[in-house]
Amino acid sequence: MNEWEVVAAILTACLVACVAVAAFARIADALIALEISGTVASAVLMVLSEGLQRQPFIDLALTLAVLSMLGALAFARMLEGPL
Amino acid sequence: MTVRHLAATVLLVAGCSLQVLAVIGLVCMRDTFDRLHYVGLAGVGALLIGVAILVRESFSLIGDKALLTGVLLVLIGAPTIHVTARSLRIRERGDWREGVERQRNRRASGGGSP
Repeated sequence: MNEWEVVAAILTACLVACVAVAAFARIADALIALEISGTVASAVLMVLSEGLQRQPFIDLALTLAVLSMLGALAFARMLEGPL
Repeated sequence: MTVRHLAATVLLVAGCSLQVLAVIGLVCMRDTFDRLHYVGLAGVGALLIGVAILVRESFSLIGDKALLTGVLLVLIGAPTIHVTARSLRIRERGDWREGVERQRNRRASGGGSP
C-alpha cells in the first residue's frame, strides 16, 4: 500500500462517520453530513486516481464534486418547508 | 525521495488531516450551525489534496482535473453553506430576516441595541 491508498482508507473510514451522523442525527444535521461526505468522497476518488494510476477516477471526482453540491443545494431548498 | 515527492506527501497529509478534522467537527459539535462551519474546512482539505496531485503529476490531465476539483469544492462550498444556513433559519423561524428586522426597527425608533 502506498501513501495515497492509506489516505484513501482513512478518508473512507471518515465517510462511515458521516453516514452515521446522517442516519441518526436530526434532518438538518443529516444535510450537513451529506455536504461533508460529498466533499470527502470526491477527495477519496482523487486520491484513488493517483494511487492506482487510473485516470477515469479523476473524472468521477470532478463530476461528484459538482453533483453533490447541486444535490445539497436542492435538499437545502426542500428543507425550508415542513418535511 | 525527491523534493517534489516530499512536498506532495506533506500536502496530502495536510489535506487528509483537514478532512478528518472536518468529520470530527461534524460528529462532536452540538449545534447545527456549529457543524455547518466544517463544510468549508473539508473543501480546503480537498483543495490541498488536489494541489498534492498537481505537485506530483505536474500540469497533466490528471493534475489539471485534480486542481479543478479542489478549486470547485472551495468555490461552491461557500454559497452552499450560505444557502444551507438560510434554509435552516427559515425552517426554524419562518423567515430568515426575523430578529434582524426587529433589531433594525428598535434602532430606528431610538431604542438602541438590546
